Amino acid sequence: MTEERFISQVREQQEPLRRFLLALCNGDDALADDLAQDALVRAYVASGSFLGLSKFSTWLFRIAYNCYIDYCRKNKPEKTGVEEAQALPAQETSDASFRYQQLYQALAKLPEKEKAAISLFYFEELSIKEISAILNIPQGTIKYHLSTGRQHLKQHLQTWNS
Amino acid sequence: MEQLEDFLRNNKPVVKDDPTFLLKTRQRMEAVEGIKAEVDRQRSHGCKALIVALIAGLAVGSAATAIAYLYPVDANSVGEGLLDSVRAFLTTWKQYLIYFVAALAIALGLVLTRSSKNPIRL
Repeated sequence: MTEERFISQVREQQEPLRRFLLALCNGDDALADDLAQDALVRAYVASGSFLGLSKFSTWLFRIAYNCYIDYCRKNKPEKTGVEEAQALPAQETSDASFRYQQLYQALAKLPEKEKAAISLFYFEELSIKEISAILNIPQGTIKYHLSTGRQHLKQHLQTWNS
Repeated sequence: MEQLEDFLRNNKPVVKDDPTFLLKTRQRMEAVEGIKAEVDRQRSHGCKALIVALIAGLAVGSAATAIAYLYPVDANSVGEGLLDSVRAFLTTWKQYLIYFVAALAIALGLVLTRSSKNPIRL
């Protein structure tokens, strides 16, 4: 894959990729962008090994997810945890920013796999099959993570609303 | 539950518009290309050095063989000097030399095992 072709593919995928990482990082956009850059460089280095057996986006998301997991292993979990989400500045008092803050706080409480499954399914609107390929876990397990993730999210959102 | 699903679908995280993102990516890719080029250059230097060493070894070996054929040396006259002292040294220190060679082999094995791991996991 040439550099130009790679860049054109990245141009199409950068927004979904950054959004996925933003959800995983509980709204910390600087960290999400750093991880996205890291993932893109890794993808570029390994682009020769991309055989086209899956979609480019699936391959890229998988690399990004691995980058995020590596980051979590290297750093203390609280850095991407609830405290970080709560520390988000409430720049505006608009409903939208309040909703995002609520959402990130609820996402921060979820285990990594559930958070990733929820993000890919609802925010990126990917199929179970694609999510299974990205997270490298069976489709049945993805459905389980989605179900438990929804329950956990509902509980957390209800707690804050009450 | 449907309410939650609607809430999630209607509140996708919004990515900040950052025109420098792709520029930064391209810069990092260029840095990677630079590193790749440097690694290739060093590898090619290593190959050249290996070939030169091989040719030099062949030339020196051939010259030594030719000299040995052209000017044969009486082994007995040498034996009393250098060869005897080497033989005496080996006889005295052979067990320590064996330990040393074994330790080197183990260390080399460990180094090779560790360096064969792939540093980049995708």
